[in-house]
Amino acid sequence: MCGIIGFLDKTSDTAPVGETVLTMLNALACRGPDSAGVALFTGPGNDRTVLRIKLGEKGVFAERQANITKRVQTLGRVLAAETSEEYLRLEVDYQGDPQQLSALIESEADNVEVVSMGNALEIVKQVGSPENLEQSHGVSRITGTHGIGHTRLSTESKVDLSHSQPFWAHGRPDLAVVHNGHITNYHNLRRRYEQHGVRFYTDNDSEVIGVYLADRLSQGMTLTEALTASLYDLDGSFSYLAATQNELGFAKDRFALKPLLFTETDSEVVVATEEIAIENAFPGIGGVREAQAKEVQVWQLN
Amino acid sequence: MATELDCSGKTIREINTAIREHIARGEDAVVVRNPGARHNLGVALLQPSTVKFDGSVGYFCGGLMDGATVEVNGSTGWGLAESMLSGTVIVRGSAGNGAAATIRGGTVVIHRHAAARAGVAMKGGLLLIGGNCGYMAGFMGQRGTIVVCGDVGEAFADSMYETVCYVGGEVGELGNDAVIEELTAEDLAFLEATFTEHLPERLAELKPRIAGFKKIVSGRRLWNFDKTDWDVWQQVV
Repeated sequence: MCGIIGFLDKTSDTAPVGETVLTMLNALACRGPDSAGVALFTGPGNDRTVLRIKLGEKGVFAERQANITKRVQTLGRVLAAETSEEYLRLEVDYQGDPQQLSALIESEADNVEVVSMGNALEIVKQVGSPENLEQSHGVSRITGTHGIGHTRLSTESKVDLSHSQPFWAHGRPDLAVVHNGHITNYHNLRRRYEQHGVRFYTDNDSEVIGVYLADRLSQGMTLTEALTASLYDLDGSFSYLAATQNELGFAKDRFALKPLLFTETDSEVVVATEEIAIENAFPGIGGVREAQAKEVQVWQLN
Repeated sequence: MATELDCSGKTIREINTAIREHIARGEDAVVVRNPGARHNLGVALLQPSTVKFDGSVGYFCGGLMDGATVEVNGSTGWGLAESMLSGTVIVRGSAGNGAAATIRGGTVVIHRHAAARAGVAMKGGLLLIGGNCGYMAGFMGQRGTIVVCGDVGEAFADSMYETVCYVGGEVGELGNDAVIEELTAEDLAFLEATFTEHLPERLAELKPRIAGFKKIVSGRRLWNFDKTDWDVWQQVV
């Protein structure tokens, strides 16, 4: 199962993306009770780097938080720092190598992970239902341009924060993915990428999609080209959404094995595993259609 | 006058029970408000009656039905009218995967598009799609008729028995053992009658196109094993 959703507002840089994405996600809670998460794009006009860092899976992290903040300060000025539950959120005046910054933070301890990094991207995910996201992190207060979300029914790997979705494509700022399905050539792809030095943070097959897209985009492909190429490079069943700072797109596998519906109006694009999610946020929006096998769509922000 | 039923705050079981109670009281039509794209609405309706959903519905709407008429003023999820025996299902919007799968009779009309695997394993009845349909429609169809006014996806009409398909637009790729046949006078009359009855508002546009429809049936090469057809069998199995 699993439920995925996406939303893009065409009219505003300060749309209530957090609230909309949560409203949609709440309707799909029954598809994925194990964990829930969102990746929100908070709008343009800022060249600071925002980091969402997992300090650990459970416990008290005051010391780690202080150490990590100190480490980050050696690379760039920390403009803001706040914590909620396992997360440390930092705004840093840094435009250097993302890998270098991640590595410096993650060397603090084994289970420290940079969950998201980018100028606009903020990922919040955790074990439990979508309601927890609001209670613990106040996701509905976040405004911006677009966002994606995921509710997870775990079938092949463990249930913890890191194995939850969305996945940030580690190393490539502002690229996030949510996936419903199974990538059956995951182990082959993972082995190939690991041989090239890519670090995998989880045993979740969905993680490889972000790695794959980051690889294709870094070779100069557009998002549309990368999603289209993935129809043949990824095996198995999938409907997945990918989002960058100014795009939202989806791809559906060659045999249409997983549901994904979408509709577009003059003011927004809405995508979801089930229409119940679209109805929950946009009652009576109309024009909803299920994506066909091998269908790829990408919407750009104006 | 039609009775109204509001789904807000009700469970699926409460809604379906209320629909059946309305039908049992002999009311002509039930209008169901705020269906909210929820699953399993209007399943197993076994008496002549009319149920109108004012909005989108989720999976399996109109499934296991015998004799009722269901209208959806919106779109539907997977498994629309699945395994229906008889009756009519009309969808004003689009349908998800597996629409009209394994129906034994009755009519399913989808005004916009159908996704993958529409009308697979049909054993009778009519599936009429106003727009396009996706991958593998008509797979292993045994009887019945599929009419698609727009384009069809890949693996269309694969491994069929006696289902007859008509396509107004482009065929993405014919499935195994699917062949195109000449339209007969009966086919032309059937298509005109079908559009007149089920898509009257589009008749002016569709009628001149009828002669250009493609008729697709089974080539019968897979009905019995013949070693000269080994290449086809290798692809199928």
